[in-house]
Amino acid sequence: MSKVAVLLCRCFGAVDGVIDLEALRREAEEDASVVSSTSSDSLCLKEDMEKTAALIRDCGAEKVVIGGCSSLARGDAVIGGLVREGIKCSHIGLVDLREGCAWIHGDDPHVATLKAWNLVQMEIAAMRYRKASDDVTVRVCPEAMIVGAGPAGLSAACTLSRLGFRVHLLERGSSPGGMLNLISHVYPSDEKSGDKTKKYSEEVEKNPLISFYPKAKILSVRGFAGDFKVHISSSEGEKKLRVGAVILASGARVWLPYGLYRYGKLKHVITQMELERQFLRESVPIKTAVFIQCVGARNKDRPYCATMCCPSSLKNAARIRDENPDARVFILHRDIMTPGSVLEAYYRKALAKGVQFIRFQETNSPEILGDERVEGVEVFDIINGMKREIDTDLVVLSTPLVPNDDNAKLAGMLGLELDRYGFFPEIYPLHPLETRMDGVFICGSARWPVSSDQAMMQGEGAAVKAASLLGREAVSALSLSRVPGEKFGHASVRAEACTGCGNCVAVCPFEACRLQNTGRKSVSRVNKLRCKACGNCVSACPNGTIQLPEHDYRAVGAMIKQAFAEERFK
Amino acid sequence: MTGPGRSNNRRTEEQATPRMLVFACKWCGLIGADGAGKKRIPLPASFRVIPVECAALVEPDAVIRALASGISGVAVLGCHLGGCRFNHANHAALKRLELLKTLLDATGIGGKRLLLAFGTAHEDHQYAEVIHAFFAELKTLPSTDPWMY
Repeated sequence: MSKVAVLLCRCFGAVDGVIDLEALRREAEEDASVVSSTSSDSLCLKEDMEKTAALIRDCGAEKVVIGGCSSLARGDAVIGGLVREGIKCSHIGLVDLREGCAWIHGDDPHVATLKAWNLVQMEIAAMRYRKASDDVTVRVCPEAMIVGAGPAGLSAACTLSRLGFRVHLLERGSSPGGMLNLISHVYPSDEKSGDKTKKYSEEVEKNPLISFYPKAKILSVRGFAGDFKVHISSSEGEKKLRVGAVILASGARVWLPYGLYRYGKLKHVITQMELERQFLRESVPIKTAVFIQCVGARNKDRPYCATMCCPSSLKNAARIRDENPDARVFILHRDIMTPGSVLEAYYRKALAKGVQFIRFQETNSPEILGDERVEGVEVFDIINGMKREIDTDLVVLSTPLVPNDDNAKLAGMLGLELDRYGFFPEIYPLHPLETRMDGVFICGSARWPVSSDQAMMQGEGAAVKAASLLGREAVSALSLSRVPGEKFGHASVRAEACTGCGNCVAVCPFEACRLQNTGRKSVSRVNKLRCKACGNCVSACPNGTIQLPEHDYRAVGAMIKQAFAEERFK
Repeated sequence: MTGPGRSNNRRTEEQATPRMLVFACKWCGLIGADGAGKKRIPLPASFRVIPVECAALVEPDAVIRALASGISGVAVLGCHLGGCRFNHANHAALKRLELLKTLLDATGIGGKRLLLAFGTAHEDHQYAEVIHAFFAELKTLPSTDPWMY
């Protein structure tokens, strides 16, 4: 039986006021495994921490049970302080006596004291079985793979290479630029999109640290943060890469509105992208144009706003007016979405240039007149409650960006999950641009439809986040935690008892478990860097072979036994 | 706790305050519990919280062991479905424990003794409500400690 020191915190009367801590301390002293039982006014102050650590060392205790406030309040700070004083984190157990007992049972001090004693007993019993997971360390490979050479991928590649890391830039197409190759100008700066990508593509060509793989495809990804093994094929043939971090900048694709507004049947009903293509080829003076917003967006199937369709309509509408001041340009919208100071000014600029805005309802959407060709658009204007007919020979549909079709495949390879629309989710809201898989970062429209400016900014952000991982010489499994401090632990398998049933492999959300053939039988192996200690495998294991040492089944059993143990204070 | 030495009064008392074990996920349920404490929401005292890293860490064996040792009900509090920081871990926990409920129903222990609540991070009033409602539910069920009668 390990020796336990019990430290109770009065919290200057916050706990003491309800729970009889003195009685608790005396009871704890009588416990066979307790070598020292003390109570103090506070444990979380710095000078107290030193005193406490000295006391623990003097009494020869192996484990410490702290009774005080919850881990969220100051409990984690106390544990952190004791760890800094040289006591192992796994040897410290925290009992929540303030938030979890004193403050919610303030009306009955007797019952609260009894409960507090049971809680302390539970933790003392559990401490016998709690062990620390053994840590592993891997050397970080200071290279990064960036998937997609659009605005986000390009800026990420350039930022990382300027920081001195080798970058492998993969592109589905044959040249860098992504969606910027398909459009003529970008909003809100009205720059030529060619100019926007030029400096980046020049850097990609010249910088020896960036290797560009056109027509690339990812065949498989294995490994973990700091050491991914990637198998790719590109126009130069198949290649195996070793990278420390992966940045996903695979972008999104434009949705084509077949079946809506007779798109595909009438020649002059086009999408925003087709208009951009016209602008790219040559400048055609357009006499009248009607833009219809929210085509296939903000409806039941796609209840999101793609955020880039309103500004791009404003951009193109203003351009038509610029080229032909007599042109009649209408934007039929449900709401104009131009958040922020820059885009709102952009909207006002379009308004000043003479673009007309008509608001319609989702349930009463505009209709295109004409049988052979577009003759006009009929729309019910909800601002003045009138039906209006607009003569036009061009209708431009604004469609949203939708996730790429192969996102699911990519997510499966990397051990990620897609959100309900099919985009790659980040850890909202505390860890932007990070995914649930350590070492995999996302930016640009793969994460959510964004403008090219935002994509570039996110690319830089993701690059810096990747750099903070790549800059480390080695990474230890326990340090891959997103909360301050260390990871809770990781699952460990007793190989001799494992039957190789594969339940853990099936349930692991991070693909950390896999079966390894040892000759006579298969045995489950846990990748400690991928494991996040959720314990899904623990409860799926039929014979308790796989366990979290910090939360052993025996510890839980001991806690259940002590939960309503003998009621001493009666 | 068990044994022949108890009076009828004690038994009635025990029936009135059912024992309850709460497995609270560290990222949601425990934060709710912490918030309830900070707001000093009064709660019945006869429940004990075991913090777990994720609701998926709650083994069905542990639930059965708790019920077998005389605890009237077990509550498992996890994050919102789809909001688990361990990808689909709490979906797996939900499926596993719903299956356990069926088993408890089939054996006559009663699936009502196992409560699954998802979504109690920073929702301290909801946490308190869950605890209160489950207590009310447990009061209508007989004690799980057959040896004491």
